[in-house]
This record gives sequence, structure tokens and C-alpha cells, in this order.
Amino acid sequence: MAETLVVAEGFGYRYPEAGRASLRDISLRIEPGTFTVLAGVSGSGKSTLLRAFSGLVPHFHGGEASGELSVGGLDVREHGPGELAAVCGTVFQEPETQVVMGGVRAELELPLEHRGEPAGSVARAVEETALALGVAHLLDRRTDTLSGGELQRVAIAAAMVHDPPLLVLDEPTSQLDPVAGDELVWQLRRLNEDWGTAVVVAEHRLERCLPAADRVIAMVDGRIACDAAPGEFLDWAAAQVPPALATPAARLFSLAGLRPLPASVKEAHAALRARGSGPPTAGDPDDVVLNRALRGKGRHHSHERPGKLRSLLRRNGRDTQPALVLKEVWHEVEDGPTILRGISLRLEPGERVALMGRNGAGKSTMLRIAKGLEEPTRGKVERAGEVALLLQNPGDYLVHGHAVEDAGVAGVAAAGLAGREEANPRDLSGGERQRLALEVVLGGEPAVVLLDEPTRGMDRIHKDGLAARIRQLAEGGAAVMVATHDTEFAASLADRIVLLGQGVVIADGPPREVLGGGRHFSTEVARVTNGAALLPDEGAEIMLGEGSDALSAGRSTHRAEAQR
Amino acid sequence: MSLVPVYRSRPSTLHAARAGAGASLCGALALTGALYLHPLILSAALGAIVLTGVLAGVGREIGRSLRFALPFALLIAVINPLVYPEGDTLLFRGGEVLGREIDITLEATAAGIFNGLRVIVIVTAFGLLSAAVDPDELLRMFRRVSYRSALTATLATRLVPVLARDAGRMSDAARCRPHPPGRLAVARAALAGALDRAVDVAAALEVRGYSLGGRTRRRSRAWSRHDWRVAGAAVALGVVAVAGALAGVGSVEPYPTLQVETGSTEVILSALVLVLPLTPFAGRAARLGVARG
Repeated sequence: MAETLVVAEGFGYRYPEAGRASLRDISLRIEPGTFTVLAGVSGSGKSTLLRAFSGLVPHFHGGEASGELSVGGLDVREHGPGELAAVCGTVFQEPETQVVMGGVRAELELPLEHRGEPAGSVARAVEETALALGVAHLLDRRTDTLSGGELQRVAIAAAMVHDPPLLVLDEPTSQLDPVAGDELVWQLRRLNEDWGTAVVVAEHRLERCLPAADRVIAMVDGRIACDAAPGEFLDWAAAQVPPALATPAARLFSLAGLRPLPASVKEAHAALRARGSGPPTAGDPDDVVLNRALRGKGRHHSHERPGKLRSLLRRNGRDTQPALVLKEVWHEVEDGPTILRGISLRLEPGERVALMGRNGAGKSTMLRIAKGLEEPTRGKVERAGEVALLLQNPGDYLVHGHAVEDAGVAGVAAAGLAGREEANPRDLSGGERQRLALEVVLGGEPAVVLLDEPTRGMDRIHKDGLAARIRQLAEGGAAVMVATHDTEFAASLADRIVLLGQGVVIADGPPREVLGGGRHFSTEVARVTNGAALLPDEGAEIMLGEGSDALSAGRSTHRAEAQR
Repeated sequence: MSLVPVYRSRPSTLHAARAGAGASLCGALALTGALYLHPLILSAALGAIVLTGVLAGVGREIGRSLRFALPFALLIAVINPLVYPEGDTLLFRGGEVLGREIDITLEATAAGIFNGLRVIVIVTAFGLLSAAVDPDELLRMFRRVSYRSALTATLATRLVPVLARDAGRMSDAARCRPHPPGRLAVARAALAGALDRAVDVAAALEVRGYSLGGRTRRRSRAWSRHDWRVAGAAVALGVVAVAGALAGVGSVEPYPTLQVETGSTEVILSALVLVLPLTPFAGRAARLGVARG
């Protein structure tokens, strides 16, 4: 039997000048050829554990380590990152700063050159790795011309070019759109299955990785709280309060009282079929009727404002005055691509809009034009008042040494940081910085609030907090538009989804209509229920509302409704 | 848009040549600028750089280098006559300022213009290098000489556009605030951000085995026709420039009375400076074997 790749016995670690340990009493073993997902909320110790595997902890960061941790038979306290790199490839969250060289080929050659490999071996390894990982067509490209997804794949290729038996990745999909994220996970799965590489991936969006995983390690406060197969992990996660690590499909089943909890959409479909309760399939005309009936609800309301919004607009007497209007807006880069192609959009006060689309679809450009950071090359933008824009990096807004200097006392309090006015923003967590930056831009009571990818790298608890603040803003009369890749966040937050593709609006309607029928741009619950519901609670409501036999018992009702 | 040209692979003889050959040609052009102050020869060198850039498909990048160099050249052209009162031909008597006579002479003005032109030639030669020579290949060449220095240079090259983007982002963020912060606060935050970036890149280097410090031995690569042609032009230009300087061709004596030797040798030298860098692009052989990008 092959040697165990990672052996930890009571391993602990504390960063220099940190008050408490980031890792405590970690004991685990990782076998060759396994696919492990590392779960946990922000600050639970996932990234630190991965950095310990690669030797950056303690060699690069300093601090105090205790207990035992060996990777590929090398004790991480005795062997530095360079030596450990031979057995452990590492990929970080930020694609841009982990690519060192100017060209892709040179980037792949660098790790082998560091090892003094002969030139012939370097050339061969680069070609083979590039072919295996699907980046051969990028070899002659400059790294600064690659998209985020391409950069991340190049980073994986650079980490794997010397064929280490272990690959660790820290939230590799957090900067990617759903399509690129899914492709990356499939790439990892292929590496794991075809090359036998053990993969350890830390990820917030567990539903993306669990289908590929053999095992899930959940961390809480620097300790391993659960180490089990995906199904058992989901049972554990569903029992937690709040169930921050439960996937949407697992929460759907949990709320509906169904067991076992599914680790993938496929498992959920199989479980529902086994119970004789769906999901509708292409070959089943009755099911198609049910499906259409359920989806039809969304379509029926597609051009109406939600009831709450209508009443709010009446209350505020602002029914006729839009907060933001984009008329035939074009953005054509000189000697470059056309980013926006005649976009027309109208935002009402109090409206919550999620702006979705692939990386490069034009979302950020549209927000920048709406704010006035860039001028459209053609078309017109009308603003009813001040427009607040929170760009992707909250740290860019925090330029002072104390939180209070950036956001004021009221802003710090609104960000939920009362009592920490004197804290250095750089010492705040990612979620805290995001909230503080939002309060910085909200300083002038804007009529429109625009947020560009505010949930990147955020765990569910922080996302819920952000969603609550956005609802509060909308209830106060501001039109809110959020560019996001997170379909669950969009479905829970928005009363309207605008989907961009190649600079044009390809869908614009209520969440159920836009997210209910997509493949990549749909929630996991929508994929389980074939669009009947987007979120776990509404899906469970349907299931429970249909009696103990769940969907099967309710089919006839929906069928009858559909026929009516 | 950055005024510093960025390398992109293009279908041209200069791009197809090995980095050493391309760098030598750009170096020979810069050397010509450094060796001569003669306006005709400097103009020929500048013309050669612009034409080489156009033929290599990087004319726009050379234009950006020119825009980058122009303020420096103008500064030299203006400052030199103000601070250097030498020369017999008085153009303007400005009186005494801060205890110093401000006399503008024809000689100091001409010397300022010639030196400004020299700066333009040298900067645009490096612009051509930056736009048309693969930096990774070039730095790999230097890694054999000084591994760590070359890698540091690689990182600096790589991080410049990243940090420029960071600074642009922070500036946009400042514009998004209802009460924009002072420039000092933004600059301080940008510096702190640059340090964070540097730490991230250092971590990436560590996990790619940087501390192992190994070196791959050079793989011999046969010389292509483009390598020969570009290297040949570089050697020819270098020899002509050095030989001309040693022979005293193109001498310029600004003071005390402006003397610019302009005879047939200067004209021939200028013609050679203009034509030699273009020879790799001449003829059918230059186009054969150049991949279309």
C-alpha cells in the first residue's frame, strides 16, 4: 500500500503576535489518490492548514508550531516550502499574484528550472502537463492577457508540472464565474482520477466540490470538528446551528425531513425518484406538465413588480421616477473589444436587482458607467440622485489607519463594528472589511447602490448579513444592483435578475424565471427541483405542502392546476 | 494606458529572432544614441527605431515611448540653457536671478536640444526592446549569470502592471467615496497594498521551489535565419557606431562656439545607422518562417 501522504498528530500553530492559535490539535491522515474538501466558515483555519501542508506555515509566516505534521514523509518544521514543493503543489485564491512570469510557457518551466531539471525534461514536462490540463493553447500567451479562469488553470499546471502526489488549493473558484468554477472542479476531478493525485481543496461553495469528494474535513475555530464521507458530513452540517456549511440541496432535504442528504444533484434526483416523487424528466410528459406549471408561476409575474415593492413605491410616492436609467449604452474600447452593446435598463427605487453573467460579460463595466467612473461611448445614463458603487476590493476604500477615519462613528456602528472604531482596517476580517467599505460608500444617502461581486470569498453567515443590509437599503428606498456569480445569493436577495452575455442583456426577469431554467446560472435547489423552487425553504415548502409522499402526492394537484 | 510598452508575440522578424539577437539590435541603437550628439546621426537612429518598430508591428508602442520620453527631452532642452551660461552667441540676456546671471546662448540651447534628442533615442530604443523582445527569454539568459537578480527583475517586470492596476483601482475607489480621501492617504494605502502583493508573490515563489536555487543547463537551440539576420544587423550597427566614434566622425563641440561637423562621412554614417537595423526585414526571406499570430 502506498505511503500516507499527510500525517498530522496534535498539530497546532499560532501566527506571530496573534492572541490565539489558528490551528489546534489537528490530527489527520490523507491517503494517496483521495479527494478531500476542507470546509469551514471564514477564519476557521482552512487556509492556515493548507499553508502548513505546503510549508509556508511556519517557515514563511513565522509563528509557533507544535505537534507533528509530515507531508510526503517530510516534517514541515524541518523542511521548507521549496523541499515540500516536490511533494505538494499549491494553488492560492488570487490568480493574479501566484503567476510569476510574463509568459505561460515560462511560468510552467520555472518550478522545473528551480529543481535544475535538464532542459529536455523541462520541455517535455511542460508540453505534457499543458496537454493534460487543457492549457496547451495558452502556452504562447502572455499571462497578463489571460482571464481569471485561464490564470487559475495555468497556476494549477505550474503546481502540477513536476507531478507532485498532493495538490492543495485554497478557494480556487472564488474569483470565477459559475461556468469557469465548474470547469475547474472537473479539471481537479480528472487530475485526481487520471493522475492519481491526492487533492485537498478549501472551498466555501461546497455544492460545487462535494460531488467530486471522497471525504470532507470541517474546521471550527482551528480544530477539526468533522472528518467524514460527504453524506455523513452533511448530516453533521445540517445539525449545526446555524447550518452554515450545509449545501442548498442538503438543506432542502433536511427541511423536508428527507434522508439521506444528497451530496450532489444526481444523488438528490435519485433519492426523489426512489421515493417516487420526481424530479420531472424529459421523457415523462406528466412531469413536464408539472414542471411547466411550477415554472409558469414565475413567468406569469415576469413583468410585474413584486407586491412589497409596489406598496413601497406607492408609500414613497415615487412610482413614476426611476432611480437609474441606461438608454442604449455602448462601451467600445479603442482598438479593443466591444464590452457593452446597446444596453437599456431601468431601475426603480427600492428594487433589488442581481446582475449576473460570465467573467467578461460586461457587468463591472456597466456598474462603472452607471456610477459615472466611465463614460459610455454611445447612449445615455440618467440618475435620479447620488450613485454609490462598491467595487470588488473592499480594501481599496479603507485607506486610513483607523476604521473611524474611513467610515465615521455612525458608519462603523452600521457595519456592526461598534467599539472597534480605532481598529486598523487591515486587521479586520474579509467580511468586516466588506461591511465597513459598504458604509464608506453609503455616506451620502444614495438613490442607487451598486455592488460589484461583494460575496467573493465570503461564507454563508457573512452573505446573510450582507443580504440583510441590502434589504434594509432597498426598504429605505434605494435601488440596489449587485453583480454576483453566486446564484444562491442572487436568488435569496433579488426580486429581479439581469443576465448579461457578450455585452447584451440575455435575460431579465424574476429570479424564478431566470434562474429556474438555467444550467450554470441556476441554484442547486433549482436543479434538484427542475426549477420549481430556487431556495431550500421554498423547495421544502413545496415538498411538505404536498404531503408525506412529498412531490409524488402533489403531482396531480399541480397537473390539475396546469390544465386549468 | 501605460506609456511603457508591453511585449506581445507578433509575426515579425524581430519577434521571431532569439531574445539575445533582438536585445543586441536594440542595444546597438541605444549605443548609437549614447555615443553621438550629432543631430543628423541621432535623427537617423530615431528614424531607424521608428521604422524598425513599424516593420515589427509595434509602431503604436514606439509612439507611446516617444510620448514618454518627450517631457524628459523638453526638460533637458529647457533646463540646459538656463543653467549653462557658456557659449559665445548670446540669444537673450535675462538679468540676475538669485545671484546668478541668466544668459541664454545659442550653444547651450543647441546642446540642450541635442541631449534631449539623445534621451529620446535611448528611451525609444528601450521601448522597442520592451515591445519586441520576449522578457522571459531575456531574463532566462541573465539567470545564468545572476539567478536571483534576474528573478527579481522578472518579478519587478511582472508586478509593474499589477501594481499599476492596483493604483488605478484605488483611485477609482477614492472617486466612489462621498468624501474622497487625501492623496497622501491613498498613496500610503497603495504602498501597503504593494507590500501585500509582494508578500503574495513571494509565497507563490516559495511554493514553486525558489529556495532550491537550482539551475537548468542551457539547451542549445539552432540559429534560425531570423536570429542570423537580426544578430548580423546588430553587430554591423554596433561596429559602425563604435568605429565611427573612435574615428571622430560626427563630432559636436557646443562650446565656446557651436561646431557640428557635417560632411560626407557623417551623411554616410547616418545612412548606415538608418538602414542597417532595417536589413533583417528586407526581402522574401524575412517573411518566410514567421508565424502568423
